[in-house]
Parts: sequence; structure tokens; C-alpha cells
Amino acid sequence: MFAWATLSSRAPGARVPRSAADQPPPPTEQSGERNSVTLGPRDRLIGELHIDGDVRLGGTIEGQVEATGDVEIDDEAKVTASLAGRDVNIRGHVSGHVTARKRLTVAKSGSLNGDVRVARLVIQDGASFSGNVSMGAAAVEAAPKPQPVVAPEPTPAVALPQSAAPQPAAPQPAAPPAPPKTAPAPAAARDGNRAPVERGGGKPDTGKAKGPVTSPPKGKPKR
Amino acid sequence: MDVQEAVSQSTPVGAAEEAKRDGLRKFTMGPNDSLEGKLTYEGHVTVDGRAEGEFRVTGNIDVAPGAKVKALLEASNVTIRGEVEGALNARDKLILGKNAKLSGDIHVRRLQIEDGASLNGHVRMGDFEQQGSGG
Repeated sequence: MFAWATLSSRAPGARVPRSAADQPPPPTEQSGERNSVTLGPRDRLIGELHIDGDVRLGGTIEGQVEATGDVEIDDEAKVTASLAGRDVNIRGHVSGHVTARKRLTVAKSGSLNGDVRVARLVIQDGASFSGNVSMGAAAVEAAPKPQPVVAPEPTPAVALPQSAAPQPAAPQPAAPPAPPKTAPAPAAARDGNRAPVERGGGKPDTGKAKGPVTSPPKGKPKR
Repeated sequence: MDVQEAVSQSTPVGAAEEAKRDGLRKFTMGPNDSLEGKLTYEGHVTVDGRAEGEFRVTGNIDVAPGAKVKALLEASNVTIRGEVEGALNARDKLILGKNAKLSGDIHVRRLQIEDGASLNGHVRMGDFEQQGSGG
């Protein structure tokens, strides 16, 4: 009995490090010093995000997200933005261009509506996807800088109700930083965020799909 | 001609495997067969070797590893493990195996792409209004 006890008390101790090594370590440990940003399901981002590291998005995102590391889109996420990253993993709803330097995965709960440029592509059964696919290392390198899908609208601060704007206590209450005249986002920029898929038609056109389709820059926001 | 031979060689194989699974006939091409032209077939088709043209099938199309296909493909389920160039319609599901290469526009109801597969073209997903496989 006693021998059993010693044995069994040893066994787990001897095993733990081995089994831990077998399992992939949690992403935070694996990436070590790498920066990681997480937006939860109740968070919202409208604009551009550039991250030197990994990004995990769970809420509502509009605009443009670019990461040097991996981009993860959670189940509840609603993303209307162009995404760029190394590994891009989509489990929520995304509409916008996606560039994955390594691999794009659309999980079975995910839906993606937009053109993609990827080195590798995995789509799980049950996932929904519509768009143009350009694949291979060359396609990724040729990818243009991702452009914001929805141009942030410069809303004049005057029109905002006081409570809605979490402004830092400014010394002058009625001095909005004059919105730049050059950047009133035209409605066209918004409509053009994704050409409707139906437009492609069901034409069995064999020769059409070759070659990387370079999407023309649409509605370039002037600055 | 090449085509005739391919068909006549393949038919016995297909006949042998007839009434498989769901009772649909099966048309099987071997790695040395080739087919050029239009094929409309009530049943399943397995393509190996070389094929060019148009394949409209009520059942499934399987493209074997190593096969080279340059054709319009239309079927219920399409499974690709070889190389395919051309438009593709899958009334139900398209599966791209890990060594598959597909270039062309596709319209499918469901889509599964395994890691390592290559795809270039436009993807459209949605139900087909006309002509369900069950009638």
C-alpha cells in the first residue's frame, strides 16, 4: 500500500512537465514578449489599428486593422474592415479585404465577404465565404496596403450631445477642433466597401479568373 | 480517337461498380484515360488522367490526385484532389483536398478547403434556386 502511494505520488509529478510540453502552450507564453491586444465583445473600434503583435477582436470593428502578428476574430465579432496579418483566423462575421501573409482560416462559425490575398487558405465545412481569392506568396507580396473599408466620418463636435462625447475636461468647452474640410467622407466610400457579390453573375467563364486581380483603389480618402 | 477509347475502357469499370451506394451509376476514368468533350451523366463521375471540356453530372464528381482537368464542372458534390482549371458549380458541397489546385470561378452551397490546397478565382456561396439533386 505504502509503495503504491509513493509510486502514485511520483507518477503525476513526473508526468506533468511532459504532458505540458506536448500541449501547445497558451498563445501568450508562446509569443513571449510579443504584444497582444484584445477587444472584447462589448468593445467597439471605428478607425485604423496598427499593432506590432497579435490582435484578437470580439466586438464591432469598422475601418482597418493591421498586425505584424496574428489576427483572431472571435465568434461574436462583427467586423467591417480590411484585415492584414500573418495568420488570420475568422470565427465571426467579417466583411472586407483580408490579407494573410501566412494562412487564412475561416472556421465553421465564421463568415467572410470580401476579396482575400493569402499564402494558404483553410475553409472549414459550414463556413461561409464569398469573394475573390488570390493565392500564393506572390499574391501576398503584391497586396496593396489595405485601405479602410469604411472611412471614418468626421462628425462636427458641435452636433454631438454632451453626454455622448467622453471628452477629457477641456478648458474651453465650445472649441471643437475644426473638422478638416478636405476629408468629408463621401457616401460613395461607404457604398463601395464591398461590391455586391451577385454582380459577378453565374457565367461559366473559364478563362476569366486567371491572374491576380488588382482591385482598383476606390474612393481614396484625401488627406 | 482517344476519346472513344477512354470511354470504352472505362465503361466496364463503371458498370462493375454500378448501383453503388445511393443506387447511382458510376463512371470511372483511370490515370491513363483521357476525355475531351462534353459529358452529361446521370450518376457519379471519377476523373483521373486528363480531361477537357464540360462535365454536367447529377451525382458527384471526384478528381483524383494527379489528374489534370480543364473543364467546366457541374455536380452535386465535387471533391478535388488533383488539378482543375475552369468554372465550377457544386449544388451542394465542394471539397478541396490538401494537394488540390483549382483556378476558376466557383459557385457552391458549401465549401471546405483543407490546408495546403490552392485556389485562385472568385468564390460565390449560396443556394441554387433551380434543380435540386432530389428533384
